[in-house]
Amino acid sequence: MKIENDTLFLAGIYMKTTMKAWFQYRIDAVLRSIAVFLRESTGIIVIYFTLLQFDTLSGWNMSEMFFLFSLLFLTYGIMILFFTGLRDFGGMVRSGNFDRFLLRPRGLLFQLIFVDADWFAAIGQGGLGIVLFILSAGKVGIEWNIETIIYYVLAVAGGVLIQGAIFLILATLNIYLLQTDSLKELTYHNFRKFAGYPINIFHKAIQLIMIYVVPFAFVNYFPAQYLLRKPGAEEYSEIFFYLTPVVGSIWYLAAYLFWRISIRWYKSSGN
Amino acid sequence: MNIEPYIAYAKKTFLQKTAYRFDHLMNILSTCLKIFIFLEIYRALYLGREEIGGITMAMVTTNFVLSMGLDAAFYIDDFFLPGKIWDGSIATELLRPVSFKGRMIAENLGNAFFKLLFCFVPTLLICVFTIGMVPPHSVEMFGAFLLSIILGYGVLWSISFAVQMLAFWLVNIWSINTIKNVFINVLSGSMIPLWFMPEWMQGVLQFTPFSSIYFIPVQIYLGQLSFREIFLRCLMQLIWIGIIYELGNVLWKRGQRKLVVQGG
Repeated sequence: MKIENDTLFLAGIYMKTTMKAWFQYRIDAVLRSIAVFLRESTGIIVIYFTLLQFDTLSGWNMSEMFFLFSLLFLTYGIMILFFTGLRDFGGMVRSGNFDRFLLRPRGLLFQLIFVDADWFAAIGQGGLGIVLFILSAGKVGIEWNIETIIYYVLAVAGGVLIQGAIFLILATLNIYLLQTDSLKELTYHNFRKFAGYPINIFHKAIQLIMIYVVPFAFVNYFPAQYLLRKPGAEEYSEIFFYLTPVVGSIWYLAAYLFWRISIRWYKSSGN
Repeated sequence: MNIEPYIAYAKKTFLQKTAYRFDHLMNILSTCLKIFIFLEIYRALYLGREEIGGITMAMVTTNFVLSMGLDAAFYIDDFFLPGKIWDGSIATELLRPVSFKGRMIAENLGNAFFKLLFCFVPTLLICVFTIGMVPPHSVEMFGAFLLSIILGYGVLWSISFAVQMLAFWLVNIWSINTIKNVFINVLSGSMIPLWFMPEWMQGVLQFTPFSSIYFIPVQIYLGQLSFREIFLRCLMQLIWIGIIYELGNVLWKRGQRKLVVQGG
């Protein structure tokens, strides 16, 4: 194998090793995946019972809500396979483990992306996304043809990039600040809990945050609106419904540049 | 039994908590944001209607403020014992002249007391001034409410205690613990007011330990229960505490005999 084309080869080896590590204990792996699946289902169970009582939320019925949520879980499940290393970057910096990467003859981001993959989160959350999609896709009145399928695939790719960009930015901040967990909790996890709801029911300030600051609206709400056209769609400019892949690419590029500039300032916390 | 060392443990945990002020502030903000957003969802569900099945928006608000506020305050370290079994320090813990269970209770109480004072109370104050919350039904009901939240904490604590004991047999307690939390989150009324559950489920839930954690205190606060019912519900909370704690206790005694510490 020649040195300049071994990127794919190396990525393959990394992937095989992480799989082996994560599935070393079979029963444990199954239990953990189920636990993640159930933990993430909590919100879905709550919506199920709520809509049994109320029928619709701002015009969205049960299947449409499931469809809206499915995009959120599916994109997260795919994203986490690549960005586990960045999710745990803060810990690596604090323990000094990250310094080992600096010594290896490959790109840092390449190593961070392939060195680890949280398979349980991927199976648990991605699995929930697939289940919700199967439960809802036939019932929400979308005509699945080449056009909508291409739109859907691009929207999922954009959603993966958007969340990857957020993880990359939060990881990069670790270079400047040693502890970013509570910031992550406030900006990412809090908003993600509500990103599954139609955002037009929220206060204007929260909508603006979800469109421009932590752009979850582009991960599921706008793509779902493009496909479903529920009430509330008219509150937003038509162009938003097409922007998911663009927003994903721009955000990811910006996050990547931020990383490239910041990594030069990296100072080890170890000795 | 000498109570002093346990008070010292509780005090230590209380003081430890005061060190993380920024974290704490974020915690309060997160809780308020969560309550605020859940209310937005319910406003959209109500669509300006006064009440649904006798439940007003103000009652829903009160339910969320109380149960989510308490949920944030009643944080219990579910990995206290499992952590000590994993790293082997359980061996030295058992040699100490204080009861391990007593210490567990003391540390958790110190923590809960701190959070109640500096997390629940500020959250409550913010919510009272910003969103319409119903005041307690009467002075007596407020007293009964306080008693009932203490018992609710007891139920929550004993469930955690019993599940932690499984760590003597299982290396991976994380999965079971996570599933336990799913049950608590869905069935205790903190994420969906139990008034909105299907009728048959409400009937069943009445008798489970989960609804007695937050929902019974909320009902008492709102004056939905007569004194007779309050007495019966509190009695049920006590019975659940007794049953679950005793279950944990049996596991605790068996577990100690079985305990194998790796390494050392």
